[in-house]
Amino acid sequence: MMRNLFSLNKIYIFSEKTLTFIKSVFPVLLILGLTFALVLSPPDYLQGDVVRIMYVHVPSAWIALGTFSTLTVLSIINFIFKIKILEIVNLCIAPIGLLFTCLAIITGSIWAEPTWGTWWAWDARLTSMIVLMFFYVMIIYSQKHIKPKNRSLMFTSIISIIGAINIPIIKYSVEWWNTLHQPASIKITGETSIHSSMLMPLMLMLLILLLYSALIFLMKYKTEIIKVKRSGVKRL
Amino acid sequence: MIEKLFLMNGYGAYVWASFGIVFISCLILFIRTYNKLKKYEKNFIKEIQELNKEEKKVLQTRSKIFTQVLKSQKKII
Repeated sequence: MMRNLFSLNKIYIFSEKTLTFIKSVFPVLLILGLTFALVLSPPDYLQGDVVRIMYVHVPSAWIALGTFSTLTVLSIINFIFKIKILEIVNLCIAPIGLLFTCLAIITGSIWAEPTWGTWWAWDARLTSMIVLMFFYVMIIYSQKHIKPKNRSLMFTSIISIIGAINIPIIKYSVEWWNTLHQPASIKITGETSIHSSMLMPLMLMLLILLLYSALIFLMKYKTEIIKVKRSGVKRL
Repeated sequence: MIEKLFLMNGYGAYVWASFGIVFISCLILFIRTYNKLKKYEKNFIKEIQELNKEEKKVLQTRSKIFTQVLKSQKKII
């Protein structure tokens, strides 16, 4: 049953359908999200309009962290069970994670200038995000340049497991150390201190960037499946 | 109204730069990924067209991906 579930044919057809769905809803959601983020949401009582950077900075950081956590879990499973599909998934999600880590750092730096009076500070949150970016670079490098496949797989798994230590450091850095970065306003458990008029556009922008990530992932995934199938055609 | 939207009480440059960088970076990754996918699909079809009739038949029965790629390229062998 598991073999049937992970069949390349089924996954390819599923990804085709999902891609079509995302392509149809994405433009509408994008216009809606940008209207809320740039026009309809209120300015912050303290920071003013510069708070709008939050609508791209926070979802980017969440996706960057979420992607790395996924990558670590899949790497461990793949290292133990050697499932080909997971190897392909990891290959496709790492560049997405790197993109959003870089975007979180850049937009954070732009936000820091008017609020902290500096573009950059070697603060715990910012430094741990830079460390995350290096872990992504190392993973992508080992996926692309280390041969043979078994060795590359082992390196990727080791890097992602070591890198996973950085995830709680990023999350709790604002609580463990004195940092310029503000503590989390949105909590899964506990009270969220952000007003609904800002929370709604934030969640909408998160959805848009998640759909974008899914779009890139599926296109990359299809490319990798075609690569596998091409080697099959050559064997005919 | 439009001027206010662009200036954002003096923070316009920061806000628009942030959204602009995110938009452009995402667009570049999208275009690169899309072009790579299309290139591989095209090469895949080219390789299939070079196969003989029997080999094509074998491929058609074995793989639904083959038919899907053909559909996306709007070509009929």
